[in-house]
Amino acid sequence: MLIPTAGQARVLGYDIVQEADEIRPRIGFVFGGERGLYWRLSGYDNLVYFANLYHVLPDVRKRRIPYLLELVGLDGREDEKVEGYSRGMKQRLHIARALLHDPQVLFLDEPTLGLDPVGARASRLTIHNLLAEEKTILLTTHYMFEADALCQRIAVINRGKIVALDTPAGLKRYVQDLSVVEVEAFGISPEAVECIRALDSMDMVSVENRDQKQALRVHSSNGGATVAPVVSTLQAMGLRAGNVLVREPTLEDAYVRLVGGEA
Amino acid sequence: MILSHLRLMWTVFCLQLKQVAVNSFVIFLVIVQPLIVALLAIYMLRDTESFQAIYVIVGSAMGGLWTQTLFTSTYNVEFERQSGTLEEIVGSPTHLATVITGKTLANVTLALSSLLFSYPLATLAFGYRLTIAHPFLFAVSLLLTVLALISLGLVIAPLMSLKVGGSLWVNALEIPVYVLGGFLFPVALLPGWTTPISTGLPLARGIPSARMLVVGAPLAEVWPLLVGELAVGLAYALVGFAFFRWFEFQARRRGTLEAL
Repeated sequence: MLIPTAGQARVLGYDIVQEADEIRPRIGFVFGGERGLYWRLSGYDNLVYFANLYHVLPDVRKRRIPYLLELVGLDGREDEKVEGYSRGMKQRLHIARALLHDPQVLFLDEPTLGLDPVGARASRLTIHNLLAEEKTILLTTHYMFEADALCQRIAVINRGKIVALDTPAGLKRYVQDLSVVEVEAFGISPEAVECIRALDSMDMVSVENRDQKQALRVHSSNGGATVAPVVSTLQAMGLRAGNVLVREPTLEDAYVRLVGGEA
Repeated sequence: MILSHLRLMWTVFCLQLKQVAVNSFVIFLVIVQPLIVALLAIYMLRDTESFQAIYVIVGSAMGGLWTQTLFTSTYNVEFERQSGTLEEIVGSPTHLATVITGKTLANVTLALSSLLFSYPLATLAFGYRLTIAHPFLFAVSLLLTVLALISLGLVIAPLMSLKVGGSLWVNALEIPVYVLGGFLFPVALLPGWTTPISTGLPLARGIPSARMLVVGAPLAEVWPLLVGELAVGLAYALVGFAFFRWFEFQARRRGTLEAL
């Protein structure tokens, strides 16, 4: 919707600057968060209002709103004021709003941002159900498991540039030569990380805080054989290793490798 | 398509009434402020030679209308921006000005209700006898003034809303227009250099025509004012819609469709 600072963008073949009026009726969009609704109105009134914004005819609207309310799991709650909705309910109302005019393309901008696990799961289920609607959906998210579960193609963007565009399985191939070893410990210092990074066959080493503990995550091409030198190095530095896990790399590991980060 | 826009405007009108009817600030603007203005004006002017109670009644109602139009047309844009709905409206096939017009119509409808309070104040509390000689044309005059004021609001709102938080500047416009618009006394009493500004305001014809119709002035003197009011209203509406298009483009360019 914004005018680009550089370059060109097209949606369904239409230029977003010159032909915005052609694009508007053909797209729907959902922004993450609770804003974008009229809180003092009921969910139903919100949908009527937005249906009129998109010039949905009254007889179509009367069929479409109940269908969408059921699709997003808000049927029976439509007469309540939006201010009483949970964050997850508001997000699902957003999805219903975006589908009122049956758009060809749907933009979902971090649709589960800030939702509790139950709300996020319900929203993901709703998005998954949209596959039956046969629409093009562009979803932006920082949650890699969400992208893995919902997307057929994923573009990884780093510093404004697309660094990879592939299926989830295709992206995971970027790290198929690696195994991931996670070691729980306490008090891992930057020096310890540097020592482990200096070991053979290390691709990436990072530390994640987990409650009172830390998890050292090592990407290595040596698989399970990495465990012994890593644990030895930790012990040599006076640290005691806890649980150790060796697993296959995930989409998140592929993302981290693609953007060159060591989070 | 026109039917679709009218349907939207009607929906916006109804939903806006639903929202503002419980807003105490709007109720203050609609009922309390015009009453205070009317009361002060009666006390200030009743001993002067040129005092006419009807000036005060119509003037305070018009004042309420002006305040409503000025504040709500601009704050409606700001409200949408703060609510995160501005980007949804701009992203839809509907012209933002259509939505703001529907909302402002709802607000001025509420503002017109201030007549229900200032009229009894003048008649019951102060004993002034007020009758309308040409009630139908009086209603037409009032309607034209309302539409012209809304059109003026459409010109002001995009200018004031271009910058996030810029709507605060509308505060600076309220009182000068009270004076220049001839709300409480004829603009003829003002210095000559203010006349061109007063003439450009919808109220320069709206208020005199309403007052003339109340006292039963010859219709030949009123018609030019009504036609002039219609022309000024249409001119402001055209400029306002163009300004809103410009505002939408600028807000998309600057990334100011939302404010957190």
